[in-house]
Amino acid sequence: MYGFEMMTFNVQGGFLEAIVRGHRSSLLTAADYNNLCQCETLDDVKMHLSSTEYGSYLQNEPSPLHTATIVEKCTLKLVDEYKKMLCQATEPMSTFLEYITYSHMIDNVVLIVTGTLHERDVHELLEKCHPLGMFDSIATLAVAQNMRELYRLVLVDTPLAPYFSECITSEDLDDMNIEIMRNTLYKAYLEDFYKFCQSLGGATAEIMSDLLAFEADRRAVNITINSIGTELIRDDRRRLYSNFGLLYPYGHEELALCEDVEQVRGALEKYPGYQSIFAKMSYGESQLLDKAFYEEEVKRLCLTFEQQFHYAVFFSYIRLREQEIRNLMWISECVAQNQKSRVHDSVVFIF
Amino acid sequence: METMKDEDGTILKFLDTMDNYLILFDSLSSTLRQGWLDLASARHSMGSSRISTALLNLKEHSASTVVRVNDETINETSGMEPHFTLRKWRTCEDKTNPIEEEEDVQGLLKQPSLNLRHRGFSETKEASNEPLVSVDDQVQKERSKALSVFGALVSPKLRSAQISFETVLETLIDIANARSVMLSTFEQLQQMKEQSN
Repeated sequence: MYGFEMMTFNVQGGFLEAIVRGHRSSLLTAADYNNLCQCETLDDVKMHLSSTEYGSYLQNEPSPLHTATIVEKCTLKLVDEYKKMLCQATEPMSTFLEYITYSHMIDNVVLIVTGTLHERDVHELLEKCHPLGMFDSIATLAVAQNMRELYRLVLVDTPLAPYFSECITSEDLDDMNIEIMRNTLYKAYLEDFYKFCQSLGGATAEIMSDLLAFEADRRAVNITINSIGTELIRDDRRRLYSNFGLLYPYGHEELALCEDVEQVRGALEKYPGYQSIFAKMSYGESQLLDKAFYEEEVKRLCLTFEQQFHYAVFFSYIRLREQEIRNLMWISECVAQNQKSRVHDSVVFIF
Repeated sequence: METMKDEDGTILKFLDTMDNYLILFDSLSSTLRQGWLDLASARHSMGSSRISTALLNLKEHSASTVVRVNDETINETSGMEPHFTLRKWRTCEDKTNPIEEEEDVQGLLKQPSLNLRHRGFSETKEASNEPLVSVDDQVQKERSKALSVFGALVSPKLRSAQISFETVLETLIDIANARSVMLSTFEQLQQMKEQSN
């Protein structure tokens, strides 16, 4: 139910909504991507990006450039924009903006724990962490031996603490336990974010419910495909799916039983929203599934800007920027590997 | 007359082995390119934090794949013996009994003196995106274990990259053996030339 946001939203959120709409207009267009796809070297990519908002972040980078450097500097721009918005946000917008970063926090926790298990240096791991997911005591993660210690020593004082209740055990951390921990945390985070958005009500609740439901469904499909042929049993796989979304609960029951990509297709083609995704792929062609999901996500994210006076525009902007960074990463890799014929395999145009 | 026939046969054999060597190089190049692109694709799909050199395991562990060098002498009746063999996915517990049989390259390299290879028909593994035809369960487990440094649930693209790089290792061994055969055939030719002079 919409609740007269038009009358009250601009008091607290009007300035930041204007800022994020301004940022949205600086996203790269199809013409920019066409120019980038024709670059011969990474220095050419840098030259083309110098006329965009990434220019100031890349201008001081020396040659030869690496793909990782381009991605790092573009991410830095996103982080700067996010922090400027966060420091000017009031409740509940500030909580909403913080929720957006919890997924990166989970990725960083798993990176540190996995790297420590493999006897890597903590400083090297901290450099690889996503800047949006950093928190004060992150380096202390390296001392934990099992999940109980992980929670007690470090995570109890972080926003991820409530998500740990379902995965606290005294078992030592190993690759499978860490993977289950990652997916269990992410499941709990998505459900919590969904409840928070529902509590906000109005346009935010309606639009964010759709976006988060899509995210939950996409996760379920990825977990299913990635677990085919592994030791993950069906019950464990089922437990990793979120308890909301278009596929919940009957689609999840079918996905849990899938043994190959064609069975996944069969399970999802019953849902009109996902029929169009599989219609783009011929039988046996699973390589384009990621791109098809990203295209669908971008379509939904762009539609959020058609409506005003809600927080979903902030979520959409961050996600669109991340998609743009993924596009730039892919273009840079194809240029660096001299595989320009494959550049359109994974680039998703936003405009 | 007999000597000329032998010499012609040896020249043809040398040219055949050189052709095989060049084809293997092409195959290596295209398989490597596919492998690197698949790896980039996996990083695009899973995220840079999940596919990163920072996750590689620094704990001490024995090599899962080894190359054995054999110093075999040339046998005039049965043909050339391969100098290099690849043992893939050896377990730590059973180093003397590899899970996967040695690559049988003898069938590939043994060539009767007048048996010409036709261009376009390759006996080697071409650059291919398809998984190996017959895969033992244990080998699959070892493959999954090797990939588990990046997490237990990885993208099919990462698995595809692993298969490509595994094919590259096999091709490198084929190249080493082809080069060995090529060089020994060349030596034979030179000896024949000296004798005829």
